[in-house]
Amino acid sequence: MIGSSIWARNILAAVGIFGLGFLTIPLVIIVPMSFSSATALTFPPPGLSLRWYDAFFGDGRWMDAMRTSIVLALISSIAALTLGGLAAYGLRRRAVAGASLAEGNFMVPLFVPTIITAVALYLGLAKMGLLGSFLGLVVAHTILNVPICVMVLGVAIREFDPRLEQVAWSLGASWLLTIRRVVLPSLAPSVFAAWIFAFIGSFDEVIVTSFIAGAYETVPKVMFNKLILEVDPTITAVATLLIAFTVLALAIVAVVRAQSDKLKSSVIMQ
Amino acid sequence: MLAGSRSDSLKDSSLGVSPSTVHQAVASPSCGEGALLVTRSSGYHFIVPGFGFLIPLLLLMVVVFDAPIVYMLALAFWDKAQGFTLGYYGDVFEAPVYLRVLANTVRISVVATIVSVIIGYPLAHWIRGLGRRAKMVALALVVLPFWVSVLVRTYAWIVLLGNDGLVNRALQWLGLVQAPVSFLYNELGVTIGMTNVLLPLLVLPLYAAMARVDDRLLQAAASLGAPPSTIFWKVYFPLTLPSLAAGTLLALILCLGFYITPAILGGGRVPMISNVLDTLINVYPNWGQASAISTILLVVTLLIFAIYRRIDQTTSTK
Repeated sequence: MIGSSIWARNILAAVGIFGLGFLTIPLVIIVPMSFSSATALTFPPPGLSLRWYDAFFGDGRWMDAMRTSIVLALISSIAALTLGGLAAYGLRRRAVAGASLAEGNFMVPLFVPTIITAVALYLGLAKMGLLGSFLGLVVAHTILNVPICVMVLGVAIREFDPRLEQVAWSLGASWLLTIRRVVLPSLAPSVFAAWIFAFIGSFDEVIVTSFIAGAYETVPKVMFNKLILEVDPTITAVATLLIAFTVLALAIVAVVRAQSDKLKSSVIMQ
Repeated sequence: MLAGSRSDSLKDSSLGVSPSTVHQAVASPSCGEGALLVTRSSGYHFIVPGFGFLIPLLLLMVVVFDAPIVYMLALAFWDKAQGFTLGYYGDVFEAPVYLRVLANTVRISVVATIVSVIIGYPLAHWIRGLGRRAKMVALALVVLPFWVSVLVRTYAWIVLLGNDGLVNRALQWLGLVQAPVSFLYNELGVTIGMTNVLLPLLVLPLYAAMARVDDRLLQAAASLGAPPSTIFWKVYFPLTLPSLAAGTLLALILCLGFYITPAILGGGRVPMISNVLDTLINVYPNWGQASAISTILLVVTLLIFAIYRRIDQTTSTK
C-alpha cells in the first residue's frame, strides 16, 4: 500500500510468508520422510532407504488399487469430458429456456457436501443394481467430474468466435465435421486441461468411492481405511508419489496453456 | 473452484469487446445448428439451439442423482410401522447426540473460516504487492496445494503435528512449551487441517479481486492527503469486501461438508455432520434419520449458496 510504514509492510510480509509456509511446508516435509529408513515418523529421518516404496510396489493390495484407480480415472474422466463438453457446447447460448437451470443441476455435485452426493448416488445405483460394480463407480466418478469439465470448457467455448462455425456451415460442413475440424482443434488446450483436472478429481476421490465401491479398492480408499486405523509409513511413499503426480500434471497444463497463448498471439501478430 | 476464479477473470477480460457477445446479439436465431425444435407461427422463430447436446448428461443426472435426492428427502417422512412421520426431524433437534454434532460442526466451521480469513486476506494482499516473478511463484505455491489430494494434505498434518513431530520439536526447541502439545485427535487438529484446505479457496478469488483494484485510485487518495490506514479502510477494503464476503460464504459451505479431515485428524473423537451421516448409513442403517439430517444439511447449504451467488454476481458485473 502506498506510503505504508515499514512496520506495516514487515508484518504483512510475515503473515504472507507464514501463510505460504502453512500451505506448502506439510507437503514439502512428506517427501524426505518417504525416504526414511525408520518405522517411526521422525524428522529429520535417521537414515535414507527405499523400503516404503518397496512396501508399496511389493504389496498386491496397493497394486490392485492402483490399477483400479488408473482405469477408473481414465474412463470416467473421458466420459465426463465428453458429456460435459457436449453440455457446455449446448449451453453456450444462455437464451435457451432452462439452460441456467440445467447448468445449475450439473454444478450441484461441486458445492453440495460430498456425503450428500454419496448418499444420492448410493440410492440411485442401488435401484439400478449397480452398487458395488465397476460400472457404478464409473457413473459416479463421471458425475463428480462433470462440473469442472462444464466450467473449464464453458469458458473456452464462450470465448470461441461462433463466426468460425458459421463459415464452416456456410461452406457445407455438417455440424459433426464442424465440431471435429473447427471447434475442437481451437479448444484443444482447454479440453486437455479439463481432462487433467477430471483425471485428478477421479484419482483423488474418497468419500463417494467408499460408499459405493463395494469390494473394489482405489488408492485413496485404501489410504483412508489405513489412516483411520494406524499410521503406516508406506502412506508417506504413496503421498509423495501423489504429490509428484499432481505437480507434473499441473506443470503440463501450464506448459500447454502457455504454448497455445504464444501461438494465438503470434497468429494475431501476423 | 480454481477454474471458477479463472473463469471470472477471463469473463472480465472479455467483457469489453468480446466478438461472441456482440455476435450473439446480432445473429439471427434461424441459423439453428443442432436445433431440435423449429416451429414457425406468425413469423416468430421458436428455437432451441443445441439443446440436444444437453440431453445425455441431463438424463444421466436425473436418473442417478436428482431422482435419488428426491427419494432421499422423502425417506425422512416415512416410517415402516406408522407411515408418515415427522419423528426423524424431531429427533435431530432433541437427541443430545445430534445437537452436540451440530454444535461441533458449526463451531469448528466458523473458527476455521475466520482463521482462514485472518491469514488469507493479508496473504492475498501481500501477493498483490510482489514483483512479477515472485508473484508467479507465490500464486503457484497457493494453487499447487489446492490440487493435491485432501487425504495427502491431511496425512501430512499427522506427520507434522504428532508428539514427536516437527511442530512440537520446534516449539520445545524454542522453549515455548515444556511438554509436547497434543494437536492430534482433538478439535485443534481438525481446525488446523480444515484451515489448510480452505486457505487456497479464499486466497485465489481474493487475489483476483485485489488485482482488479486500480492503483490510480489509491494514488488519487494519497495525493488528496489520505494517510495509508484511511486509504486502506476507505478505498481498498470496500473494493475487496464483496469478494471477501463471497469467499467466506464459500468456505463456510465447504466446512459443513468436511468428512475426511475430522475422520483422520479428529481420530473419531470430533465427529462432524458428514461423519455422523456415514455412521447412520453404513453402521446402523437408519435411513430415515440420515435423510432428515441430509435434508437439513442440503437446505442450509443451498441457502448459503444462494446468498453467495447473489454476491458473486454483483461483483462480477461491476
